[in-house]
Amino acid sequence: MPPITEHVVLRDLDVPNIADLDVYIQHEGYEALRNAVKEKSPQDIINVVKDAGLRGRGGAGFPAGVKWGFLPKDVYPRYLCCNADESEPGTFNNHQIIDRNPHQLIEGVALAAYAIECQKAFIYIRGEFAAGALRLEKAIADATARGFLGKNVFGTNTSIEIIVHRGAGAYICGEETALLESLEGKVGHPRLKPPFPAVAGLYGKPTIVNNVETLTNVPRIVLKGVEWYRKNGTEKSPGTKVFSLSGHVNKPGNYEVPFGVTMRELIYDYAGGMRDDKKVKIIVPGGASSAWLTEANLDVAMDYESLAAAGTMLGSGGIIILDETVSAVELAYKMDEFFKHESCGKCTPCREGTHYLVKTLHKFTHGGAVKNDINKLHDVYNQMAGNCFCLLGESAVVPIRTALRLFPEEFEAALAKSPARHAIPLTLAH
Amino acid sequence: MPDVNLIIDGQAVSVPAGTNLVDAARTVEVAIPVFCYHPKLKPVGMCRMCLVEVYTARIDPATRQVVMGPDGLPQLALMMNKLQPACVTPVSEGMVVKTTTEKVKFAQRGVLEFLLTSHPLDCPVCDKGGECPLQNLTMQWGPEVSRFDYSDKVHFEKPIKLSDVIYLDRERCILCSRCVRFQDDIAGDEVLGFDNRGRSWEIISKSEPGFDSKFSGNTTDICPVGALTNADFRFRSRVWEVRSTPSICTHCSVGCNLSLDARHNSLMRVMPRENDDVNEIWLCDKGRMGMRFVESATRVTTPLVRQHGKLVAASWDEALTRIASNLSQIAAKGNGQVAGMMSDSASNEDLYAFRKLITDTFQSTSLDHRPGAVTDVAIDEAIITAGVGMGTSLLSLGKGTAVVVLAADVEEEAPLYVLRLRGIKNRGGVVHVVNSFATKLGTSASSDTRIKAGSEAAYANAFLKLVLEAQVASGFDRRVRNLDDVRNQLSKLLLDTLLEHAGVSRAQLQKVVDAYMAASNAIIVYGRTALQIGASVTQTMANAAMATGKCGKANNGLIALTTGANTFGAVSLGVRPGKDGAAANEFWARAEAGTLRGLLVVGLNPAANNPAAVEGLQTIAKHGFLAVQTMFMNETAELADVVLPQMAIAETDGTITNAERRVQRFRIAMAAPAAMHPTWQVCAQIAERATVATPASKNATAVLSNWNYAVTSDVTDEVAQNNPRYAGVTYTSLDLSINSWGRQANESVYYDGTSYTNTEGNGVQLKTVADDAGAALTVVYSPPVEFEPKGEFGLLMQTPVRAYNGGTWSIDSKLGSRQVAAHVLISSADASRWNISAGDAITVASPIGSSTLPAQIDKNIAAGHVLMPDVAGAPVHLALGAYTRVAIRRAE
Ligand SMILES: Cc1cc2nc3c(=O)[nH]c(=O)nc-3n(C[C@H](O)[C@H](O)[C@H](O)COP(=O)(O)O)c2cc1C
Ligand code: SF4
Ligand code: SF4
Ligand code: SF4
Ligand code: FES
Repeated sequence: MPPITEHVVLRDLDVPNIADLDVYIQHEGYEALRNAVKEKSPQDIINVVKDAGLRGRGGAGFPAGVKWGFLPKDVYPRYLCCNADESEPGTFNNHQIIDRNPHQLIEGVALAAYAIECQKAFIYIRGEFAAGALRLEKAIADATARGFLGKNVFGTNTSIEIIVHRGAGAYICGEETALLESLEGKVGHPRLKPPFPAVAGLYGKPTIVNNVETLTNVPRIVLKGVEWYRKNGTEKSPGTKVFSLSGHVNKPGNYEVPFGVTMRELIYDYAGGMRDDKKVKIIVPGGASSAWLTEANLDVAMDYESLAAAGTMLGSGGIIILDETVSAVELAYKMDEFFKHESCGKCTPCREGTHYLVKTLHKFTHGGAVKNDINKLHDVYNQMAGNCFCLLGESAVVPIRTALRLFPEEFEAALAKSPARHAIPLTLAH
Repeated sequence: MPDVNLIIDGQAVSVPAGTNLVDAARTVEVAIPVFCYHPKLKPVGMCRMCLVEVYTARIDPATRQVVMGPDGLPQLALMMNKLQPACVTPVSEGMVVKTTTEKVKFAQRGVLEFLLTSHPLDCPVCDKGGECPLQNLTMQWGPEVSRFDYSDKVHFEKPIKLSDVIYLDRERCILCSRCVRFQDDIAGDEVLGFDNRGRSWEIISKSEPGFDSKFSGNTTDICPVGALTNADFRFRSRVWEVRSTPSICTHCSVGCNLSLDARHNSLMRVMPRENDDVNEIWLCDKGRMGMRFVESATRVTTPLVRQHGKLVAASWDEALTRIASNLSQIAAKGNGQVAGMMSDSASNEDLYAFRKLITDTFQSTSLDHRPGAVTDVAIDEAIITAGVGMGTSLLSLGKGTAVVVLAADVEEEAPLYVLRLRGIKNRGGVVHVVNSFATKLGTSASSDTRIKAGSEAAYANAFLKLVLEAQVASGFDRRVRNLDDVRNQLSKLLLDTLLEHAGVSRAQLQKVVDAYMAASNAIIVYGRTALQIGASVTQTMANAAMATGKCGKANNGLIALTTGANTFGAVSLGVRPGKDGAAANEFWARAEAGTLRGLLVVGLNPAANNPAAVEGLQTIAKHGFLAVQTMFMNETAELADVVLPQMAIAETDGTITNAERRVQRFRIAMAAPAAMHPTWQVCAQIAERATVATPASKNATAVLSNWNYAVTSDVTDEVAQNNPRYAGVTYTSLDLSINSWGRQANESVYYDGTSYTNTEGNGVQLKTVADDAGAALTVVYSPPVEFEPKGEFGLLMQTPVRAYNGGTWSIDSKLGSRQVAAHVLISSADASRWNISAGDAITVASPIGSSTLPAQIDKNIAAGHVLMPDVAGAPVHLALGAYTRVAIRRAE
């Protein structure tokens, strides 16, 4: 697939210093917003985003325009929350957008706010992104000073206030309902769904939650139209996607490419191939929550449908590529340790299950495994799978399950080497 | 809405839409195991114990149509392709639920295994053991063995104190959040919260002092493990060793149902007993932890008679004979020479027998049920006419209900009503609070109107004025009499003047009136201040209920939060001044005048904080005869000629009538610490020894023949015969109304350790006058009384109730540290005006005297308003009713 000629999201690559308001304005900045508030109805904006087929980049790929259409009629106020919590291991494109192209995100937030008739929008930003939060606040202040935001945007009756809120450092607060709890000042625990945020979200009011990358697409779509946007990507996954590549590639980083490029192209054409020309062993294609792929999947097309067909998901677009030097057991251990650390504790299977997964995996990586421990691992993740309150717990199942499916021999080998392997297990399975 | 039909484990179920699967399954006796779910709390779906297979009609994704099977019925598919938490899954038509499949069992075993592996399993030393849902569920649904190492347990410091009375063992906590949700949703004291995350997640107290709630004990019940325990019961007993006796709390007018759990004749704990018409499954902490006085070593256990100026032990016969002969002699001198005073927290049987002794045997109509301090409340006639109608059940109320709470501090006066009124609001009703100072209930009410001190009657009349105006259109209740007079008199009161006096806007009042008028069920609650002011508040509010027909039917009418647990019983059974008789606050003047020479006091201490009473009692003792029956020596007993031991409620039986006129039975839980008799029997024994020949009753033997009681229920039966209001109320009828609220089989899953199932009846509600269809309802105009501060006494003082008042109930109670010490609350404005800082000693002077005590400053009260809580040691004798004009200054 040919490389894109013009970046939609990572425009800093084409236009240096686009983070400056004046530079941004020189490059059609805030045109879309001006146009929208002056000449278009909110429904017009929803329609164009719907027709463009813009899919949410936060993980699930849900069409943004369709989500905006879910708001119950005549219930106000409505809120918009831009999800900038970006904590999924291997994912770092939101960070770059906020640092290098903040105005386009802000314009996207404002357009979405206008589309859903919301006057107060929040950007919930990961607590560790302190510099990013300051940058956003400055950009919002600059835009407000010009009359692009705040009361009477571009002299119209529309008011859009954007508030930046820093999280306190919890992965779970990226989950949209935990984000809302946290924003309300409560402990970041996910809420029961339904009701979904679109019906009863922040302070019980209709609320739309969208990812940073999702919203950063919006100004260009509104300005340039559906056809222009759909020139990239596939029918069902239109447009471009910023993939974050990390691991044993020569040039890790964010790459904005049309949906549908292959994994092989991403690794070898964009990311400069494998370090020391080693073989690809494990590909984590869409954040720690996505099922692993191997070398055999190198030709999978990077769009929502193709990855689903391959038994995994596009997820956050954070791709971790690992070569043969990595042990599958170690990787599963590290990843589940992350989930254990981030488990909010609200539900039993995740709170306790992640603990026992890590505890048991630790035995494999540190020489304490006993005979029945492989069965125990299977049991523990099966006791979690499908039974957790939210997707974090379900995600924790993924690394261990794929590791055991793809690399069972590594677990057997770890067991064979374990000094404790002959110890009698405490008790047998029920 | 039509019911929803579904199938659970092969059984057809039909339940209202919106019912969750756990509750739906309960109706066909299928128990789905739960931890976080509790029938009284909003479900949250977090423990994942209740996972089940749910099948719904398969929908073709392309056509969005139900896919039909070959049998012509919709094909079923596993919902979301995974197990569903039953507690948060609502029923839907045609659903098929399976709760015992292998998949379900695997998940249930899994959740239990997870919980148990981090749990300390210290059941042998855990107070919850034996009634612990974690134990129970493990036995029925859990794995037989554990596969994880002991080193995997969570470790925390063993119990930490959340408060003086509640301990938290974080190792045992299974993080179900029931305690937090109870506090937030039911109690309205949002003092518990979460800290940390994952396996380190823990429950914390957010308040200062810790776990600051009068309902904290309930969390130890609904905690499904032994993580929360209370200081009153910790390590006292294994729960299976106790013998439970149904009883009633007599610490306030709610009349909560409880169970006295004793072992070897020693009280181990007090637990709630379910009664949806009274306390649901809850108790306030005072009720739960205020029963230790029963076993106090300081109880009076033997009769005492005065010899050579000293009280010395005597036999029952000697003591009773002395009382009988002395009072007989005095009574012979004429009406009123003997007087009686008995606590309105006593049983109906005791009150009835006492009334009979004083009026029939000693021929006097001077009797009363309050100590006779000037702060006493008026006898409440309004409630007999227009009290909430028969069949009232607050638990059934929600949408369409309006409650107006006027001149009451509900949490302090009758704690459980806070939960019940909040419940009405949570279910969609409105609760409007109107009071002269801030109250806890006000903070979570639909509106909280602050009226000026002393303006309650003005507010009530303004309320009545607007209510009558609004009612004109739809016409007045046909049974109402004297309406024209009331309307005529009211028309002379200017609304603006009343509003100005009360310090409220027309809109504020209108909102409350509108809610009252619009409601299909309307209840008015008033409390201590209203009762102290009397008819101009209570009768005026009753007028509103009568004129609008909002009484005499279920869920409508008045509720008076009386000071005693059985004030209604005392009033309706005649323990009140009769014709020509004196009220308690007139006793002392009569004593000084020589027209009152004999007094019998039961369960009261009139001498406390009342110099006038002390003088009167001294005069009676000196020139006549003073007999006192009491559990503990007190200022009054010290002056007596004879002191008799009194039984505690745990040691006797009888009936009590609560604020909603529900008569409830309590039973004997344990033996008294020494030989003693219930008061009704003591009365009979005195009567048998009495020889009164007065002009009214020449024949003393005629009186004797009436005291033929063998057991308490003989008195109950006589009450029912002689008192139309109590007609039909017998032990049998009280026991008959069994389980009308309906727990179902296998309910230990939901309720174990929580409260006792009630198998002893939920009581019988007495009729009001308005409940009789033919009764005439007479409205009476009661002009607003004025409490104007004047001259040197420039402030208005109120004596509000405090639940933690240091009363008898607090003896040996673990709530000791919570007792409110005597103090005066003044406004910030008055504090700066008189240069008073918090803690300073100040002198409060009223027209009858002065006293010095510490000041506290409350920024929420208005300048010129003073509150002196009515607690042990407070000089409430300075008060002259609801409001007293006082002066304050820094003490030298
Ligand atoms: C555990 C967990 C963490 C998540 N973290 C993020 C995140 O950091 N950023 C994000 O945009 N979405 C995250 N999501 C997805 C959000 O819940 C939500 O679906 C998304 O913000 C919606 O935005 P979109 O429609 O634009 O994709 C997370 C979901 C889960 C379950
Ligand atoms: S799965 Fe459960 S414990 Fe884990 S993060 Fe979600 S709610 Fe919290
Ligand atoms: S203390 Fe008890 S009620 Fe509270 S969360 Fe823990 S287990 Fe549940
Ligand atoms: S509310 Fe009243 S009756 Fe109920 S437990 Fe408390 S003090 Fe006793
Ligand atoms: S999840 Fe249903 S009972 Fe806890």
